[in-house]
Parts: sequence; structure tokens; C-alpha cells
Amino acid sequence: MLFEYIAIATLIVLAVIVALIAIGLGELFGPKKKMEEKSMPYESGMTPYGPGTRRMPVRFYLIAVLFILFDIEVVFFLPWAIVFRQLGLFGLIEMAVFIAILLVGYIYAWKKGALEWE
Amino acid sequence: MATPTLTETLDLSAKFPGAVTADARPGYTGWIVEAGKLLEVAAFLRDEMGYDLLSSVTGVDYLPDEKMEVVYQAYKTTGGPGIFFKVQAPRLDPIEVPSVVPIWPGADLQEREIWDLYGVKFTGHPDLRRILTWEGFSGHPMRKDWKEAFYEEDAKPFKSRWPEGRIKMAEERNPFGDNVTFDEGFDPEKWTSNDPEEALYTSLKKYTAETSDGIKTDHILVNMGPQHPSTHGVFRAVVILDGETVVSLKPVMGYLHRNHEKIGERNTFLQNMPYTDRLDYFNSMSNNWGYALAVEKLMGVAVPERAEYIRVIMAELSRIQNHLIWTGMMLNDLGAYFTPALYAFEERELILDIFEAVAGSRMMCNYFRFGGLARDLPEGTLEKIKDLVFDRLAAKVDEFDRLLTENEILVARLKGISKLSPEDAVAYSMTGPVLRAAGVPYDIRRAEPYGIYDRFDFDVVTQTDGDMYARYLVRLEEMRQSLRILRQAIAGLPEGPIITGKPQYQVRVPAGEAYGRIEAPKGELGYYVISNGKPNPWRYHVRAPSFINLTALEKMCVGGKIADFVAILGTIDIVLGELDR
Amino acid sequence: MIWEWLIKALVLIFTLLIGFGYLTYYERRALAFIQSRLGPNRAGPQGLMQWMADAVKLIFKEELTPDNAYKLVFFLSPVVTMVPSIVIAAVIPWGPPVTLFGQTFNQYVADINVGILYLMSIASIAVYGIVLAGWSSNNKYAMMGGLRSSAQMISYELTLGLSFVVVILMAGSMSLVEIVEAQREVTWFAVIQPVGAILFFIATLAEVNRHPFDMPEAEQEIVAGYHTEYSGMKFALFFMAEYQKMIVISAIMTTLFFGGYLGPGVDRFPWLGPLYMAIKIIILLFFMIWVRASWPRIRYNRLMAFGWKVMLPLALALVFITATGILLADTMGNPWLMAIIPVLSLIAGWIATLMVDRSLRRKSYA
Repeated sequence: MLFEYIAIATLIVLAVIVALIAIGLGELFGPKKKMEEKSMPYESGMTPYGPGTRRMPVRFYLIAVLFILFDIEVVFFLPWAIVFRQLGLFGLIEMAVFIAILLVGYIYAWKKGALEWE
Repeated sequence: MATPTLTETLDLSAKFPGAVTADARPGYTGWIVEAGKLLEVAAFLRDEMGYDLLSSVTGVDYLPDEKMEVVYQAYKTTGGPGIFFKVQAPRLDPIEVPSVVPIWPGADLQEREIWDLYGVKFTGHPDLRRILTWEGFSGHPMRKDWKEAFYEEDAKPFKSRWPEGRIKMAEERNPFGDNVTFDEGFDPEKWTSNDPEEALYTSLKKYTAETSDGIKTDHILVNMGPQHPSTHGVFRAVVILDGETVVSLKPVMGYLHRNHEKIGERNTFLQNMPYTDRLDYFNSMSNNWGYALAVEKLMGVAVPERAEYIRVIMAELSRIQNHLIWTGMMLNDLGAYFTPALYAFEERELILDIFEAVAGSRMMCNYFRFGGLARDLPEGTLEKIKDLVFDRLAAKVDEFDRLLTENEILVARLKGISKLSPEDAVAYSMTGPVLRAAGVPYDIRRAEPYGIYDRFDFDVVTQTDGDMYARYLVRLEEMRQSLRILRQAIAGLPEGPIITGKPQYQVRVPAGEAYGRIEAPKGELGYYVISNGKPNPWRYHVRAPSFINLTALEKMCVGGKIADFVAILGTIDIVLGELDR
Repeated sequence: MIWEWLIKALVLIFTLLIGFGYLTYYERRALAFIQSRLGPNRAGPQGLMQWMADAVKLIFKEELTPDNAYKLVFFLSPVVTMVPSIVIAAVIPWGPPVTLFGQTFNQYVADINVGILYLMSIASIAVYGIVLAGWSSNNKYAMMGGLRSSAQMISYELTLGLSFVVVILMAGSMSLVEIVEAQREVTWFAVIQPVGAILFFIATLAEVNRHPFDMPEAEQEIVAGYHTEYSGMKFALFFMAEYQKMIVISAIMTTLFFGGYLGPGVDRFPWLGPLYMAIKIIILLFFMIWVRASWPRIRYNRLMAFGWKVMLPLALALVFITATGILLADTMGNPWLMAIIPVLSLIAGWIATLMVDRSLRRKSYA
């Protein structure tokens, strides 16, 4: 079973090679005429005001952290789902308790406005 | 040409003795107000007399009299004729006139335009910068002594093109280098921009806001346009964002400025007619009518019945096709990838086919003449119009209604966003569907009927919410009302002549001033024409609805999201041709 | 062994590349017909060579790199975006085992027993390419677009994961081949769990930044998204990645919910397997194109609210409904009791739409 992964590895290597060939073709055949106006970052035709990389709103960080929490929860679902039929009712109730605890956190985040505007 | 101010026997010169005198020039109407008393008179007119809609602010240069004049036209939202009043100032720099922005905020962009093109400084204006030319421009283009690059002569027909009556070929005439004058020290080859945008950026309300936790957050300044797929042309808005929320916004226009009004002064009266097509290039029929209305007021000609009916038919067809395009483009802005636009365009093509049959051209019709129309309807056109109006268009408007009005995503994107209260709308000189969506039932076809609109039975479509969804509903319903007018017009179309008198090439227009305004699909389109007896107008000004409706853009967008900005711009329905002129 | 893998990998890559080419053609044609126009029909007979013309054009375009961009990342982020979209198709079974030259070949590149977990992880890697593309362009717009895009993608990955859990519950295994075989015994999983299928469809639309969830890359909005500064072949790689993801998620969706390669006569003629897959994939792609032609975009904050506040609770509810239904059927010994799953999930879905409706009619939605 484990050497199925080598098949996937072959696929990855081949895909990377194909992508690099594509970019290589573009670099090879495309014209290269550098001009000042072309190298400016694009902002609807005007010269951009201010530096290119600015600070980002903190909401994105919040979303990322919440995603991690709930993604771990989903990952815990996966093995439970596989052996669910063997576990029976006990497994269901156990999982329900787990979810209920996480739901408390979810509702807290909702009420606190962590899920707003983004 | 009756004096428009005698409805309540208003005698301003009795109320303000010494400061206000009646304008006694032959062919002129209105009152001349002293600059010092302007704000008082304006406040009186707005508050006591009820003239709350300032329709237009125009500048006129009377070079022979050494005077610069600013003309104001104000109307009541309850309907009826308006009041004209003017302020005159000696033509010596600096020319200063008090700004009426504290009283009518809608004068904002128009006063900036007069500063830009005439050099009249408005004291008390919150942000007096150039608007149609760029900030480093020198000179005031509309002044009579300002000659543009490649200036040939003052009035057409230009003798330089027909010396001694023979045509001079364009290849033999090389205008380059001959008569281009620049400012001293300005060399176009070596000029570099050292940020003429400073004035613009400092005029934006910049402040670092404090969130409720006391943390200072950053704002980013973003340019939407001029090269943007959704700003309906070369239009630019400088926006300051706090995350996704718009904190401050300033529109920047003038990328399509062609100094249409100065060209108008060079042309003869009739030569101007095709130029008016190019203002709001979607509705050339309406543009033509407004101009013809103004000049017919000056000339005192009446239009024959058949021509009046055909004018109404063409104008209402134009309104329908404008609203069809609007619906299509609006949904395109919202992201419905061209499907509604192409459905709308199918209908529009049929209407444009009618325009082509009648006028010879789909969009630049040049169909109206002073005293009537250029030519009669050809064979079979009336049947085509009947087919469209009675069968096809009504069904199509209903289909659009069914497909779009209840769509959840559309409702979610349009409802409750960018509300404009009726007081704000009137104060900011909004006209057209946006004003009616805010709840003010002001439609020039009802308030001060032109042509034969007083004979037709139609509703003035109003909504009360003032948000974007209301504007959509107003335009949808207006299409139905236009169909109603069309049915009545087609039913009542008489036979008869199509123009009063013989068609002339050079019309002699008696001296005087006139303001002809119509309810164009985008708002109130007004033409202010001054003639001094010569074959060319002395002043030709276009009161463009797209331009003036943008005065409230900042108010409508601030507090909303950047994604809504494109949609809001769409609901105001601008066309760059008439915005920039 | 290694030849087998190489050949299968190459066949998969070329199928996806050519599929991408024809998908662009299919989309443009279908969109055009919905919009009462024709679409590309000039390049080649009926326009079938249009994608080749596009590819050649993009090769010959100038590759612009903005001045202050981070060159290495700028160069590599198209690769990072495109490779996952191909690699994710490694575990999809295209048909039952086939006999060629006396040897049995399996119609998939690899069948790992954690197939679903593999899908989830590769989907998460795809987010990297977008963030890196936006950030390395040194352009405010592009960076904001990249961030918003990635935030959207990770928000909907949770719903995606929970939809996978629903399928695993019904199949009892994470391996995709076993899921298809489970559908052979029972019935298509979409029949048992229709709301799950719809939820999966919506979640994957949001995952691949496809209409109506494509605000971060939409032209009409904040100019253009994370790929503003890209031109030529690098842009083509982003484009390729998006369309390949479309094909691949259609393939995954047919495998998980619509029976994969199952169909009449597929056991006797294993070559019919890919044909059935192709038909089902084309129908699902048509739905995606249909959605694109018909609806406007959802605004970004509503999109996020939808993902976190509507889809996630609904997916959780569906997991429990499915679990309860299976348990009930197993303990009572009556497999028809599983029919309670679609009934309850339809009720749950209906409640969810009612709540969305109610929140839309609330006047004070800013």
C-alpha cells in the first residue's frame, strides 16, 4: 500500500515539470522589452500612492485562527466516521458531546463578532 | 419667452431694494443680484419662496462689457417655472463671487467648473480645485480671450479653410507649430509630474480612526479608474478605505473633456446639433430636443403638430433603450456575466434600427431642427414602431421584471444600501430617476411640460426608499410608463408638415438668453443658450445630469463597502460624454 | 512498476490539460448560447481549436515582472497553484480494473486508504499559491485580493471537510475506490443525502473561486485579484489551475455522490467506466457554467457570513442526521430506514434557507 505513494510522487514530479516547461516556453518565446511604465504596479492607470505592501486587517488573522480550530475538529471527525458502524450508539453520543463543547466555542465566537464583516 | 418669475408676482427688487434689479437687456429675463447680497437673496429664495432645487450654475464671459457673470437657475420641486438670477463681477483678476454651496450644496461641482473654465473664485467654497482640466493647467479655457491650441478663427465657417473660396487640402495645411502657445517655462517634452495630485489627496478627509479598542488603524488610498472595467468610461474615484469600508471619496473627472462648450461657441447654431449627439451618446434624440427647445425659445418659432408627436415618440423610445442598457450594465457591474446585458441589447438593437431608418444613424441621430425635424418617417417605420411598442417591448419589460426583480442575490446587493433621503437629494441638485427613487415626485414632463407632454396621461414613478433597489424599480417602471406614452402618441399622430418654414443652414437667432430643459433619461438636461444676433451663439452651456448627480456620490458611498461603490456608480447612471463634455 | 506509474501519470496530466482546453471552449460556447449569441466558432471547425490559439497567443506574450516584486516567489507561485490541481486527481478512480496485454491494470494512479484525507490536504495546499501570488506582486490590490481569496477558501474548506465526513459515514472508508463500490451496493449517495451533495457543490464552488464566489478575482470589483500583475504563460497557469480544479472537483463529486464510474454494463466492459465518468462530469460542469451565466456575484462579507454561519452549522447538522440514520438502520436491521436521512436533511436544508431569507429581509443589514 505504501508504494502507492511513490506513484503520487511521480505524478507530482511530472506536474512540476509540465508547469516549468509551460513557464519556460513563455520566457523563451515572449518578447522582452522593458519600459518604465510597464514595470509600475498596476492601479487603474494611476501612479500608486503609498508603499506596495501595507499592513493587513487583523480580521484575516482571526479567520485563520478560527479555521485552525474547526479544522482540527473536522479531522477528528474523520476516523470516527470510518469506524462509526462498529462504535454504534456509544460513538454517536460521544461525538455529540464533543461537538456540543465545540459548539459552545462557536456560538461564543459568533456572539463576540469574530465572524462579522469578513 | 414670458418672464418666468411672475407666478406669485415675485418682485425681488422690492424685497431687496438696491441690491436686486431686473435684468433689462433685450431678450433677457431674471434678476441681477449684487454679489454682497447673494447669500441673503439665495436663502430667501430657498426658504421663503420654496425654490429648493438649484438646477444650474453657469458662468458667462462678457468680454466687450468687461464683466463676468454667474447665472443661477432655481426651481421648485412642487413644479412650475423657475427663477433666474445673476451675479455680475468686473472682469479683473481676482474675480470673486460668494459661493452658494452653504445654501444649495448641489452647486459644488458646478462652481468648481466655473473656477476651472472661467477663473471666477467662489469665496466660501469648501474645496475649490480645478475639475475638468488638470491641476497644473494654466489659463481658463472658456474665457473669450483664451485661444486653444490649433486655434484658427473665432467663428465658423473658418475662412482659413476656404481661402478665396477654394478648398485648402488638409495635407497642405500644417497646423503643428503654427499656433500652439504654451505658458512661459513650460516645455511639453521636458515636463515631469511632480505630484499635481497633492491638492487632491489633501482634500480627502484623512484621519486615522480609532477603533473601539483605541488601536490606531491604517487607511489605504486606492484609485478606482481611470482604467477600470466598471466605471462606465474614463472616470476616476480616489477612495480611502478602512479595510473594506469607504471612509472618504472624491470623484476626479475630465478625462473626456473636449471643451464642448467652446466648440459650441465657434459653431453656428445649426452646426451645434450634431455635437449635441455626442454628449450623452446613448440618447442622442433627447440631447437634440433640449438644444432645439432652447433655440426655438429664442427664435420664437412654433413646432408643427406632427413634428411634436414624432419628437415624443423618438424621445420615449430613447428613454426605453437607455433604461434597457442601464439594466444590462448594472447587472454586469454586479457580476451577472453579461447575460442580462445581452438580453437587453437585443431589444435595444430593434430600437436603434428604427433610429437608423428615421435619421440615418443609429446613435448620432442629428434628427431635430429648429422648428421641427429633419425629415419625416419613412415608409413602414410606423408599423415597426407599432410592433415594438404594442407587442414586443411590453413583454420584454415584463420578462426582465420576472427574471430580475425577485432574485435574491440582486435584492441582497441592492436593497437597503446607499440610501439618499429626499432632502439630501434635493439639496444636492439630484434629478432624474435617483431623485424620484428618493421620494420626490419631480419630473419635468409634469412639472414644466415641454412639447406636448401635457396632453399625455402617464404616472410619475416614485419610490420611497431611496436605496439602490428603489432606483432599479423606478427605472423598470419608467419603461412601462414610456410605453404608455408611446401608445397614446402613436394613436394620436396627425398628418402635416414636419418643420416650420424652410430648412435653413444658417439661422438668424435674435439676441437674448434661453434655458431649455427636458427630462432626459438620466436626469434634467438643460441647455443655456445666449445669442447676440450673430450666427454663432455667444454662450452655450449644457447642464449635464450625470455631472451634477455626482455631487452626492461621496454622501452615498461613505460608510458603505468598496464593492458597493461600483454598484452605486451604476445606479446613478453616468455617461462620460455628458459628464465631461 | 515504474513504467505503469509514469504512463498513468502522463495520461492523467494530458487528459487534464486537454480537458482544460476543451472546458474553456465548452464554457464560452455554453455561456454564449445562454446569452443568445454564438461564441467562438472560427478557430478550427466550429471553433474547436480555439484553446490552441489561446495557448499559442499566451506563449508569445511578454512576461512582465513588476519592479519591486519578490522575483523567486513571483515566478514560482503559478507552479504552486497549478501542481495541486493536477495532483489531486491522482486518487480518483476512473473505472473498474481493466485487462490489457494479459495484465490487470487499475484505472487510477494510486489508491491510498486515506484518499479523502489526501483530497483535503491537497486542497489546503492550493491556498498557498494564491496568497503567495498576491503578496509577491508588490501591489495593494493584488495582495488584498489574494488575502480575501484565501480567507474565502479556508472558510469553505470546513464545510468541504464535513461533507466528506458525511460520505465517509455512508461508505465506511476513506478510500475512493471503496466509496464507489459502496455506492454499487446501496445506491448513489446523492439519493441518500441530497442536501449533502448540494452543500458539497456550493463548498467546492467557493473553494475554486468560481462564480458566484469569485469576487476576489472579479474584474468589476477591486480591479482584479491576485493575478493582476501576471501576464503570459504565468497567467495561463493560474487560469489552467482554476479550470482544472473545476474538472477535478466535478470528478470528485461524481465519485462521492453520483456513483463514480458505475453505470449499466460497466463490469463487463471496463472501458465504459471513463465514459460514464465523462458524461457525469460534463453534466456537473454544465451546472457550474449555468450558474455563472445566470447570477450576479455575492458580496464578500455576505459570502463569508454564508460560509461560517449557514454552511458550517448545516453541515454539522447533516453529519448528525446521517449518523443517526445509519445507526437506526443498522440497529433495527432495516436498510429502508436510511430513508429518514434524506427527509431529515431536506428539512434541515429548508430551515437553513428560511433563516437566510429572514436575515436578508432584515432592514438594518449594512
